[in-house]
Amino acid sequence: MTYLENKEPPKREDRLKTCITYGGTICGLSKKSKSCCINDSERGFSQGSICLLLPALGMINSLPDNVVLLHGAIGCGGCSHSQNANARSGGNLRWGKVKDALWLSTALNEADVISGGEIKLEKAIIEADRNYRPATITVVAACVPGIIGDDVDGVIERIQPQVSARIIPVHCEGFKTKIWATAYDAVYHGIGRSLLEKPENNKNLNISEFEKLEEKYKLSRTVNLLNVSSMGRVDEVELSRLLGALGLETNIFPVFSKPEEMYKVTHAALSISTCPTHDDYLVKFLEEKFQIPYILRHMPIGIENTNKWIRDIAAFFGLEQQAEKLIKEETRELEAALSEFKAFFKGKRVFVSAGEFRALATAYLLAELGFEIVGVRSFHHDEFAETEYEKLEKAVKNDFTINIANVQPFEEVNLLKKLKPDVFLGHWNGNGTASKLGIATHVIYNTGLSYIGYKGVYELARRLYRQLKNPLFNKKLSKNARLPYTEQWYKSEPFKYIKNQGGEADE
Amino acid sequence: MSSFIERPRYLCALGGAMAAVTALPDTIPILHAAAGCAGNITWTQNGGSGLQVGGYCGGLSVPSSNIQEREVVFGGDVRLREQIAGTLEVIEGKLFVVLTSCVTEIIGDDVKSVVSEFQDEGIDIISAETGGFKGNSYHGYDLVLQTLFKNYLERGIDKVKGRVNVWGIAPYQDAFWRGNLEEVRHVLEKLGLEVNTFFTSHDTLEKIKQAASAELNIVISDIYGVEAANVFEEVHGTPYLVTPLPIGPSASDSFLRSIAEALSLDDSVVEGIIEQENKHYYNYIEPLTECYNDLDLQRYAVVIGDANYAAALTKFLSDDLGWLPELVVFTDQLREEQKPVLTQRTQGLESGLQPKVAFETNGSEVLRHLNEIRPTYSSGKYSDVFGPAFVVGSSLDRELAQTIGAAHLSISFPVANRAVLDRGYAGYRGGLRLTEDLLSAIILAR
Repeated sequence: MTYLENKEPPKREDRLKTCITYGGTICGLSKKSKSCCINDSERGFSQGSICLLLPALGMINSLPDNVVLLHGAIGCGGCSHSQNANARSGGNLRWGKVKDALWLSTALNEADVISGGEIKLEKAIIEADRNYRPATITVVAACVPGIIGDDVDGVIERIQPQVSARIIPVHCEGFKTKIWATAYDAVYHGIGRSLLEKPENNKNLNISEFEKLEEKYKLSRTVNLLNVSSMGRVDEVELSRLLGALGLETNIFPVFSKPEEMYKVTHAALSISTCPTHDDYLVKFLEEKFQIPYILRHMPIGIENTNKWIRDIAAFFGLEQQAEKLIKEETRELEAALSEFKAFFKGKRVFVSAGEFRALATAYLLAELGFEIVGVRSFHHDEFAETEYEKLEKAVKNDFTINIANVQPFEEVNLLKKLKPDVFLGHWNGNGTASKLGIATHVIYNTGLSYIGYKGVYELARRLYRQLKNPLFNKKLSKNARLPYTEQWYKSEPFKYIKNQGGEADE
Repeated sequence: MSSFIERPRYLCALGGAMAAVTALPDTIPILHAAAGCAGNITWTQNGGSGLQVGGYCGGLSVPSSNIQEREVVFGGDVRLREQIAGTLEVIEGKLFVVLTSCVTEIIGDDVKSVVSEFQDEGIDIISAETGGFKGNSYHGYDLVLQTLFKNYLERGIDKVKGRVNVWGIAPYQDAFWRGNLEEVRHVLEKLGLEVNTFFTSHDTLEKIKQAASAELNIVISDIYGVEAANVFEEVHGTPYLVTPLPIGPSASDSFLRSIAEALSLDDSVVEGIIEQENKHYYNYIEPLTECYNDLDLQRYAVVIGDANYAAALTKFLSDDLGWLPELVVFTDQLREEQKPVLTQRTQGLESGLQPKVAFETNGSEVLRHLNEIRPTYSSGKYSDVFGPAFVVGSSLDRELAQTIGAAHLSISFPVANRAVLDRGYAGYRGGLRLTEDLLSAIILAR
């Protein structure tokens, strides 16, 4: 893999044949296997969604001592107003200090569209460097420079000698890919190309032989735990706890990583992902360039998935026995704590919607808690999830609906009207439709809440219990709020607007 | 001038336009844009609009053509036509507004001709060119009003005496948009006027369509919606009056008098209402007197806000609450010719105070401006510092408040740390709300 030698990473449609359209059932999907949907899958009617700029900023806004410089129109990056809450609380939880994320915009206007934005970008980089004295400036290119043809990388190369901050380009031209998970590649690409060298002044000259051996041993027991902002601090703590129980140290990367410590990711014994959707680009790079092996399977959401995640890591270090002991003790304690909730959840019908791995792993967790899965919506589909679908198919007796969509609440509302679940779990800004239908809802991702590991199972159960115990906010809302869909649409087939090879009907 | 904008306190033209369209009754935006525009706008509202996202068909429910590289190369007209047709089948609405974006403006799609095909079929559908690079949220709001006035309002209808339209507050960009509009409506109705405010639950498309029957348009902003008022006057011949956002009794008194004058209303009626409203206001203020004094609740203040709030809050703090606003910072991107009127609004205060005025899009520069007035920390035994102080601004100004040891309240965008529903600061009642909120922030730990 030599992607990092290029200026920009490839889009995932090309690299992984990722797609965003499918409507059918789990059984139907497994028959189709990898050809379930095709690369240029389309909808004839679509609703707005996000682009790679949002998850990319979700990561970058967390970086300390960094200035985010958006090169685009004034609105691009406004999402930082929401992500700032995570930057503030995340910093506070890690370092006891509340600080706003720092993002700037070159605010390209009509004149710039005509004459180009390169000079403006150059000036902005220099001024940002002088004003804020950051360690790094991440230049995030949005749609406009992509269309008018600004050479963002050229500007950065030209200007770097005049600037003390390290400048990192991150390409986020939203119109270029419909797979927003390309964001993770874009950020990893920028960091991987520019920030992984050990700072020169970070050398200990008086280190003894014993200390050297100690350090070597420590590194042989240190693992990279990758977090692209899909986990909050509470989840990092849970996974560090479990790894610590096996005698392993964790190096969490890249969110909230200090620039001078980023190099540590190249010194670990193993890279561990919690989600292949996020990390395949980086772990493969770290293996190729630094010979660090990786584990890129199971998301530690749910009991069995967490067990598997731990076993994989333990096997790598030859710690199988310790792992079994840990798993036995943890699951015994957890099962006992869950018993009262399980009785309550039994047979309740649930629908989940999220990024592919998260949706599937959470569905698995919910099945473990005794829920009946009636539908899963994933934001995209690629090869990594094949095993997850298989796992879920085995664990769940009934057939259920699968919809692959970059949100598209109109398909969701159609399904929910027909399936009538008791509870719905959706992503940020993705629970409104179910709420207005009067269904109990819970957010499937929020960096302030616990989802991961054994602790996450219990905390999620506790929260779902609470939501199901009193869903009157949504019930009352549903009697008084309208959803913007025609009667005709509710009667239609939910996947009507998926063109070409997406749906089961096309088989 | 800075070569960038720090933590921009507004979205792009499309962001303001989408928010405005979703706030109109039964109206559906159709974005002709890349997939991420709607999401970015939604996340921004989520973070800055006082916990309000969306509307009837807002957030990620907004129809969007989600154009890609292929359309950039071959044009997006075909995709837009397909998207509009699909929207009419799936989405229930009475008016559809196509909004263009950076990408579709640059590639030069002929949106108007696609839209006109649907108009020919009798669909209520209009469009606005809201490419993000054309300006910020406030401009996008103005552009939506312009297309509404030009392309939706019925033309050539008779003016009706006592009927007025009010605008000048950008939905979601002002977290208090609904409360403010409702309160302005409330005081105008006291004058016996029939009021259309476009964006509240009291407004309907039927009435909006008849908006040209108004005898006066009232723009409660020196900047936002003024271009639209010109368009309205050109197309429908209705004059307009620009007034600052009236916050509290002093500003509301002037507001009512200026409206009465423009509409030649009976003086005694207006003065009667003013007296009644002040009586009501001070009836609530009265029991506050002891604690206001005992707790020494007068403050020096820094006011940081958009063109509407910065001046209007300064006036209220100075002339109703009796505080000392010494620095006023306008955080909008403004043209030079727009600045004098805003500066003038902060001068001529009844208190005689002459606050320093700064036009500054980078929030971290506010401390520098403040230090130019007087020290923000004690430097010796006798030091006339800026304190006790209050920062009235956005949630991004909390760091400043912390630095100078001031209390803080978020009012201007972003309002990340407050839940806002029907609360508004306009009018007489708004003055009471604002007094409650400011003083509550001071006594938080009491």
